[in-house]
Amino acid sequence: MKEIDARGLACPGPVLQTKAALQEGSLNEVRVIVDNAASQQNVQRFLESQGFVAVLEQAGTDYVVSGNGNSIPAVQPQPAMESHGDAKKIMVMCATDRLGFGDDELGLKLMVNFLRTLKEMGDELWRLVLVNNGVRLAIAGSEVLDDLKAYEAAGLKILVCGTCLDHFNLLEEKGVGVTTNMLDIVTAMQVADRVITV
Amino acid sequence: MTFPTDENVIIGLERADDAGVYRISDDLALIQTVDFFTPIVDDPYWFGQIAAANALSDVYAMGGTPKTAMNLVAFPAKTMDLGILRQIIQGGVDKLKEAEVVLIGGHSIEDKEIKYGLSVTGLIHPERVLVKKNLRPGDHLVLTKPLGTGIVNTAIKAAMVSAQLVEKVTRLMAMLNRDAARIMEDFEISACTDVTGFGLLGHLAEMVKGSGCSARIVSSQVPVIPEAEDFAAMGLIPAGAYKNREFREQMISFAGSVPRTLQDLLFDPQTSGGLLISVGEAHCKDLVSALKDKGITEAARIGDVVEDQKESISIV
Repeated sequence: MKEIDARGLACPGPVLQTKAALQEGSLNEVRVIVDNAASQQNVQRFLESQGFVAVLEQAGTDYVVSGNGNSIPAVQPQPAMESHGDAKKIMVMCATDRLGFGDDELGLKLMVNFLRTLKEMGDELWRLVLVNNGVRLAIAGSEVLDDLKAYEAAGLKILVCGTCLDHFNLLEEKGVGVTTNMLDIVTAMQVADRVITV
Repeated sequence: MTFPTDENVIIGLERADDAGVYRISDDLALIQTVDFFTPIVDDPYWFGQIAAANALSDVYAMGGTPKTAMNLVAFPAKTMDLGILRQIIQGGVDKLKEAEVVLIGGHSIEDKEIKYGLSVTGLIHPERVLVKKNLRPGDHLVLTKPLGTGIVNTAIKAAMVSAQLVEKVTRLMAMLNRDAARIMEDFEISACTDVTGFGLLGHLAEMVKGSGCSARIVSSQVPVIPEAEDFAAMGLIPAGAYKNREFREQMISFAGSVPRTLQDLLFDPQTSGGLLISVGEAHCKDLVSALKDKGITEAARIGDVVEDQKESISIV
């Protein structure tokens, strides 16, 4: 476990220190000490955005956030976070849970493989959008649910079509991603440098 | 504390508003305001523009026309290149030119930290002063600029913002509220303020308090800088946003469906934010389309004033 003393730092200092510590090594447990409630909540938000479970406590004038990330793979050195820097923004849209036409069993396998290999895009992978049958990839029992969760924990934004979930009666089953609407999807398409539709 | 006053004070500290208003004659009043701050962007020229747009905004929010301005400057002249100060002031001057306001003086002091701003004087008809506290039940609420500049500025400090977004947000902060204020003149406006340090909900709370009515905000309709939501999710939120929430918590309620990041944006302190306008229901649509026609493309109806004496704000 690593302890980070970020007392005396104004926002966004404590978040930056925590981020740097996570990038340095693959930490599973971290304890961050700050001196005000705003910084405490910011560090909590940051750790949660990285897939950690954060617990808050107050000790005298110190505010402490304890983060546990055991349930997820180690944080990538450079998560594909929203800052995105100058990296190209690639949006991948899956309108199906199977890759290609023909044999469905093969198609399912290929899709699993496709999603697991997507990480090779690195920083450029910016949005994963699931529509129509694609939303089935994000629900409880999906073979790639854990993979998608790992992507999300590493900072990838996964958008899941709300209309589609509703249509298949799967709203309650969604296990990963943010429920989205057509306007968000169209806006993402417009902002993306490249859109890949599967 | 009691403040010196006389019968010509229309808006003074007793009922603080965006700016002070003082009657000169039956058909003319002075509007006066002052604002200055430390640099919020790295580029000195743009900082000057933003500081000027921000200072002018209070006059626009009162429904007035700014006429003259004076510079307020604090600068470490011994240790820093005077060229930087020149660029800051050039930014301010160019923004004043755009607003057709003259610079007639100013004052500068030596300081460790750069500070720049202006005092601005404007004119208005005493009967046409737009105060904050005049909401009427049934009015619609319109916001003219997207929220999120505080969060994005925090993310800029964390070096996590693309050059493209820095430019977009800088332009947004430097954008005058003049056109929005001129358009308001053609409509039946009950109340207006500009959204700055207290965030949207903090400034709305000021409007609601003492009005005898309540407000309802539809969060999905509130214009925001989309990237700001992602930064908020990562904890890049200025401490002011938390203070704004804490200060007004008792009068504000959120529906469970409003995401936390969007709540953060509603409390995010804005620099040179947009106007928050309470307009008669019959005029709202035309006001919003007039704003959009004039290039204020993100203007939107974000909610309504409701007849509820609790003086609360509910967000769905």
